[in-house]
Amino acid sequence: MEEFIIEMLNITKEFPGIIANDNITLRLKKGEIHALLGENGAGKSTLMSILFGLYQAEKGEIKMNGKPVKINNPNDANALGIGMVHQHFKLVEIFTVLENIILGVEPSKAGFIQKKEAREKVLRLSEKYGLKVNPDALIEKISVGMQQRVEILKMLYRDNDILIFDEPTAVLTPQEIDELMEIMRGFAREGKSILFITHKLNEIMAVADRCTVLWKGKYKGTVAIKDTNKEELSRMMVGRDVTFKVDKKDANPGKVVLSVQNVTVPSKTHKNNAVKNVSFDVRAGEIVCLAGIDGNGQTEFVSGLTGLEKLSEGSIKLCDTNITKASIRTRSKTGMSHIPEDRHKHGLVLDYSLEENMVLQRYWEPEFQQSGFIKSSAVRSYSEKLIEQYDVRSGQGPETVVRSMSGGNQQKAIVAREIDKRHQLLVAVQPTRGLDVGAIEYIHRQLVATRDAGKAVLLVSLELDEVMNVSDRILVMYEGEIVGELDPKTTTVQELGLYMSGAKRNTVKEIENA
Amino acid sequence: MDTIYYLIQNTLPVAIPLLLVALGGMFSERSGVINIALEGIMMFGALFGCLFVYLIQGNSMDPQLILLLGMVVAAVAGFIYSLLLSFAAVNMKADQTITGTALNMLVPAAMLLFAKMYFNSDGITTDVDFYLKGVPGLKDIPILGRMFFQNTYITVYIGLFFLLIATVIFYKTKFGLRLRACGEHPHAADSVGINVYFMRYAGVSISGILGGMGGFFYAVGVMDGNINGHTGVAGFGFLALAVMIFGQWKPIKILFAALFFAFLRTLAYSIALIPFLDALDINQTFYKMLPYLATMVVLAFTSKKSRAPKAEGIPYDKSQR
Amino acid sequence: MRNNTVSSSRKVDFKRLTGLKGFSAFTAALLAIFLGLIFGFIVMLVASPANASAGFQMVLVGGLKRLGDVFYFATPILMTGLAVGFAFKMGLFNIGASGQYTMGMFFALYVGFMWELPPGLHWLVCVLAGMAGGMLWGFIPGIFKALLNVNEVITSIMFNYIGMYLVDMLIQGNAAMYISSKTRTAYLPASAQLPSLGIKNSSLNISFIIGVAVALILYIILNKTTFGYELKATGYNKYAASYAGMNGKRNIILTMVIAGAMAGLGGAFAILAPSTIAGSSMTYEPINVIAANGFNGIAVALLGNNSPVGIIFSAIFVSHIQRGGTLASLYGFKPEIIDVVIAVIIYFSAFAMLMNSTVVKMLKRRRSNKGQGDPGTFENAADLNKSQQVDKKGEA
Repeated sequence: MEEFIIEMLNITKEFPGIIANDNITLRLKKGEIHALLGENGAGKSTLMSILFGLYQAEKGEIKMNGKPVKINNPNDANALGIGMVHQHFKLVEIFTVLENIILGVEPSKAGFIQKKEAREKVLRLSEKYGLKVNPDALIEKISVGMQQRVEILKMLYRDNDILIFDEPTAVLTPQEIDELMEIMRGFAREGKSILFITHKLNEIMAVADRCTVLWKGKYKGTVAIKDTNKEELSRMMVGRDVTFKVDKKDANPGKVVLSVQNVTVPSKTHKNNAVKNVSFDVRAGEIVCLAGIDGNGQTEFVSGLTGLEKLSEGSIKLCDTNITKASIRTRSKTGMSHIPEDRHKHGLVLDYSLEENMVLQRYWEPEFQQSGFIKSSAVRSYSEKLIEQYDVRSGQGPETVVRSMSGGNQQKAIVAREIDKRHQLLVAVQPTRGLDVGAIEYIHRQLVATRDAGKAVLLVSLELDEVMNVSDRILVMYEGEIVGELDPKTTTVQELGLYMSGAKRNTVKEIENA
Repeated sequence: MDTIYYLIQNTLPVAIPLLLVALGGMFSERSGVINIALEGIMMFGALFGCLFVYLIQGNSMDPQLILLLGMVVAAVAGFIYSLLLSFAAVNMKADQTITGTALNMLVPAAMLLFAKMYFNSDGITTDVDFYLKGVPGLKDIPILGRMFFQNTYITVYIGLFFLLIATVIFYKTKFGLRLRACGEHPHAADSVGINVYFMRYAGVSISGILGGMGGFFYAVGVMDGNINGHTGVAGFGFLALAVMIFGQWKPIKILFAALFFAFLRTLAYSIALIPFLDALDINQTFYKMLPYLATMVVLAFTSKKSRAPKAEGIPYDKSQR
Repeated sequence: MRNNTVSSSRKVDFKRLTGLKGFSAFTAALLAIFLGLIFGFIVMLVASPANASAGFQMVLVGGLKRLGDVFYFATPILMTGLAVGFAFKMGLFNIGASGQYTMGMFFALYVGFMWELPPGLHWLVCVLAGMAGGMLWGFIPGIFKALLNVNEVITSIMFNYIGMYLVDMLIQGNAAMYISSKTRTAYLPASAQLPSLGIKNSSLNISFIIGVAVALILYIILNKTTFGYELKATGYNKYAASYAGMNGKRNIILTMVIAGAMAGLGGAFAILAPSTIAGSSMTYEPINVIAANGFNGIAVALLGNNSPVGIIFSAIFVSHIQRGGTLASLYGFKPEIIDVVIAVIIYFSAFAMLMNSTVVKMLKRRRSNKGQGDPGTFENAADLNKSQQVDKKGEA
């Protein structure tokens, strides 16, 4: 009988209408790095939230060193030495690094915070583990990588020795990822036990000792990494073999559709520009991918391109029309379609019905309205056509309230709407985020079909696989600048990583010649 | 010079209710709950404070002691009334603005009902003289003595004392840190074991306490110890909200904002004493509009920059993340 | 609103009905009203136990004896209710209906006193002037919100005060309008008063019919036009609205102007109403008090679920209990009791939906425990299993 520091036995957790965890068992050994693998929606985060006390399981029990424990809230977890780095950092932006670290466990006398004491401990820890931070910097002013260090220091400050990392690498450069892996190994050597949530196989192969796989809320098994390989893990994760390749012919670029010249966009969070002097063209019949780590100006660039924000400098031409200062509606009329990054925030009116959302970009066209009155029969037949053609599934067809639809079908609705709309350029921002493999494949096929129909496609993506497999040309964005142009056929992921992390860059001249 | 002394002496008792109530609003909003009910809370506090004074007057107690006791009664009343907002906003996840509006409408109606039934009038009239001719020892300091320690109310010093306490609690204690975290990022607070519901109850309750006190101080310092269901507190609760926004949800800035508005109002009601303004012969009602107009001008210029607590107005729901 | 269009299945389907938004809004309103009335009854019991049940009965049914008055007094709050509800559809809380109402009243008064127009035209112009006054007072918070990003709640509140002081000042300064010895406005000329509907002892007049017609027009705007489509989309999700190229700033201003027009009409209707005593008219007292009808509009809008048609009914209901409250004074109760009841109703409507859905869930749970699994129990929450099930149905 082996020593397990944590055992989660037969855990079941239901949310209204969905069983997020169905009889799941996970055993963590002391001093190991244990990966928790699964697709989006497989129940990884839920399981870890139960361990961390954010949720309570309906069935099953948690044992620590063989003894049953009750974890009703994060305080209980903390008392047991369990800490967690959340996927979306839980940091108060207007607080300093130090305030964030001590929040909840403030050293105090008669209610008054003793900051000096806290600062010494933080500096000591940061020294010991090589996690350099400035305790007095405001969170909103520091980089994402730095913010993650703060999250890690939060756990160390609480003397936790069971550390949960929820998708810690999503926001990091390949180089930062390597550093994080090293830090994790250091923790394991010290006897701390690590649970590492991810859906990236390379990282598991590189750092984990064992791996537990979840699939659609169910337990698929636990394997030792030294006895397995990527292919087996991936089969366990998706329940079938996956081709990582996207089927497509070579691109056949035509005339320039989108021409971006010296575009600069100010930042909302800091004083510098978020996008600096960016220039490039996208031609008909090609998919150009804007790659980069999250937060390097892609969001701001797209906002400027699509008209959600104003440019401070530069010009944009679409189909030979200058749209630099044009309204969103004019851009749309000129031929721009836009699959937005955040489908709930921008892409859909969740409380509208599916048919109302289907005409969100077109309700003003004569086809759907006459002197200001909406032609509801035209809206109905059009949306029924799209639902059929793009296989959008929902409970009550065109009348379904979109909020009640699954994420994949919501995204399909947006894709249908944007592709069917008359357009020359499709701007697709992270179109597959948060979707399962089936939906991802579907959307990739649609992007390629759009390209083959002679449209220009600008894809903005954070997923390396997507960048490498879907695009015909890669532009790498780093700190608001285009630092390199790469050909996905000749480049490697490692090379791409070097550009994305700013370790390598082409001069402007080289890009022009490329 | 006499005019300046007069204006300062009259500004402070008006500024103090604004200050306290705006500070209350700050605690509530920075814990994450929009408190538009401050107007109603003020009236509720004033009602009970005055009722207490009415019941106790005439038994030769020292007026300042009566004031202090009335303040405690008003604070308790404000606290209790604010629980209605906390319950709706925290437990029932209700729309905070609508709830606040309902609470604002309830008090004047209830007060009129009550006063008509038991006093046969529109409010409560008391006759204790809370006025302070001078503070012994301090009133004779040259210039400052006349500015700050003559012809005033004890409420001024109490108010400033509470400003000090509030600032210290807000910035120096773990309670303050946790409260501010709940208004910015409640999920972060929850993830480190802070009880967001409790902190929001605490924030709203503090606004109830300070709002109730502020209402009573308004009755004392502005209305001579009376309160009436028709005029109520004349929009001071709403002005306090504007003061809070103008003060960027920060205690010391709120002090200056409160002084600014109180000065405008005092000016409006003292036109007859200021020869050159009196000579203009502008309708007095115009000056009464002035604080509200000034609020709009100030908001027009500051609101693009101002940064409200990020999570304010959004009910906290553990299961959504 | 959309629920009305879900009519493809003709038979009455209870499960479907309880799932509809309109239905739950209706039961939620009933729940809030019920609690508000209970509260009022308790207050009456405390105040005067002997008369409480008689008085309460008067509150409930007293209005029926004065139906003309019920409709007459319903008109202004119908308009302010529309002013609040219409802005709510766009996600704007128009707490400024009170100031818009006052401005509308003043503009109507001004035209009534200062312009000489032929009878038959005069009152119409007065009404239009009132509408314009309300529009102006809605336009300002709209501009502040759209261009300067100032929260409309604060602006509206401030402009309630500014409008009230301004109107009082202008009326007091106008000798033709104001009789200072009586601290009220003079009697309006008969040509400026609204045509009465001729109900005995009641001031019920044409404005009620106009008000209902306007409500129906708003219903059509909201549900059949591109402007309504944009407005509701903005109210649900302003980011998606701007993504779709809707002109958010224009729509905010337009919505506030329309809302202001509604409240302005309310003010005009109230002051232009014909008096039952010949030779007199409604009057206004400039005593620096904010118009209560603006705030009652909030209750009306909430109870009517912000839908123009719902608001017609809720305005009549609120007016009905107000009349009852006035009649309850026969038993020694003060009419303010109704203001208390209305405030309590608003308080509960703010979370009545939640209470309501809890009750419905409990009922359903009991039902599904008895029978087998009930596919109708799914809520709108992210619900993957359900959509998969439904998907399969869709494929078949």
